[in-house]
Amino acid sequence: MSLDLIVVTPQGESFAEAVEQVVLPGAEGDFGVLENHEKFLTALKPGPVEIRLLDGTTEWAAISDGFAQVTANQVVVLVDECFKAHEIDIEHAQHTHAEAERELAELMNELNSEETRAEVESTMVRASVMIETHSRHHG
Amino acid sequence: MAILSDIKRRITSIQSTQKITSAMKMVSAAKLRRAQEAIEAARPYAQRMRETLEEVGSAEASHPLFEQREEIKRVGILVITSDRGLAGAYNSQVLKATEGLIAKKRRAGSEISLTIVGKKAADYFKGDRGGSVKTARPVGPKVNYVEAKQVASSLIEAFEDGEIDQVIIVHNEFLSMIAQPVKLVSLLPFVPPNDEGAEAETDQAPYEVEPDAARLLKVLVPKAVEVEVFRALLENQAGEHAARMTAMENATKNTEELIENLTLEYNRARQAAITSELVEIITGAQALE
Repeated sequence: MSLDLIVVTPQGESFAEAVEQVVLPGAEGDFGVLENHEKFLTALKPGPVEIRLLDGTTEWAAISDGFAQVTANQVVVLVDECFKAHEIDIEHAQHTHAEAERELAELMNELNSEETRAEVESTMVRASVMIETHSRHHG
Repeated sequence: MAILSDIKRRITSIQSTQKITSAMKMVSAAKLRRAQEAIEAARPYAQRMRETLEEVGSAEASHPLFEQREEIKRVGILVITSDRGLAGAYNSQVLKATEGLIAKKRRAGSEISLTIVGKKAADYFKGDRGGSVKTARPVGPKVNYVEAKQVASSLIEAFEDGEIDQVIIVHNEFLSMIAQPVKLVSLLPFVPPNDEGAEAETDQAPYEVEPDAARLLKVLVPKAVEVEVFRALLENQAGEHAARMTAMENATKNTEELIENLTLEYNRARQAAITSELVEIITGAQALE
């Protein structure tokens, strides 16, 4: 018995495979899903996803905010973006993170910059999720 | 003889135009294929999003973005065109439809606030043609979701603040290679998907919703709006390439026709020159006898 994990983004399906277990970053905290889970629907926050594959290995992926639909033997994850750990360009992510941090510090002193600040903040969150996913994958 | 070289020059110049138009056609064909793939790829996400919304919407059906306002003081119009021209009537039909919509809304006593995607529309509305332009941005070489998200969130914000009371998208719909009709889509207030059909078949256990339906809806609805904007951008992208491909194909055909006519003219002129030369030689020879 196994669980079907389907990750769908506006760019297409980025993951569709039978897995053993999946741990998702729910808005109310991380939660794990095994087969025969109760039907439920929840919001997700940006974070790393742990995927235990059928052969016992673990794969990591970084997702943005979105939703998860859990039915007995299927988990459907709807997110804006999803990157598997090995697809992450760690140098680029670190660079983006540093850049965003610097920009944010500059914006702190400016008035009426809420919109830009929110944008930079989300870029920073994205980058830090990628960095975290990458380090878990290699750690 | 001057006329001969003139014709020759015109032929060469048209030939090089033909090379450009047929190259543009090939490029558009390749881009169109990719744009169509992007539309296909976005479909499952939109589909599942709608299902989720139905699921949650049946439990909880109120959200600030659903609010139908009685008095429409200001209408937000999202106009989507391409960045570049040479695509036949592709952009002008959207611009014309927008003008029509603006005039109609004005007569109804509403102010207009334009949000523009695409350089062509930005150029067109630069002067004082329609309502005030709120934001304008180019489409860019490839539509991405982040951009759609930004456009959607600025519209959502304006709607929630009461700055605008309605949002309508004007864009070209990609139906097929030859048909890209203008489409007006009402974006806000958001109409939740009709779940009448779904309700009939809900003998299954409902979903356990976490944290709760109202809060989930708060995140879900803006996402559904984003998807709608994203879809419009993708359709526009595919439509643009299809329209350009058709326009360039016609242009290539026209150059072929022109070249054919000119070649005929060239050959006639050449024949005439040869004949008159022969006549000269023959008359000269006869004079000597």
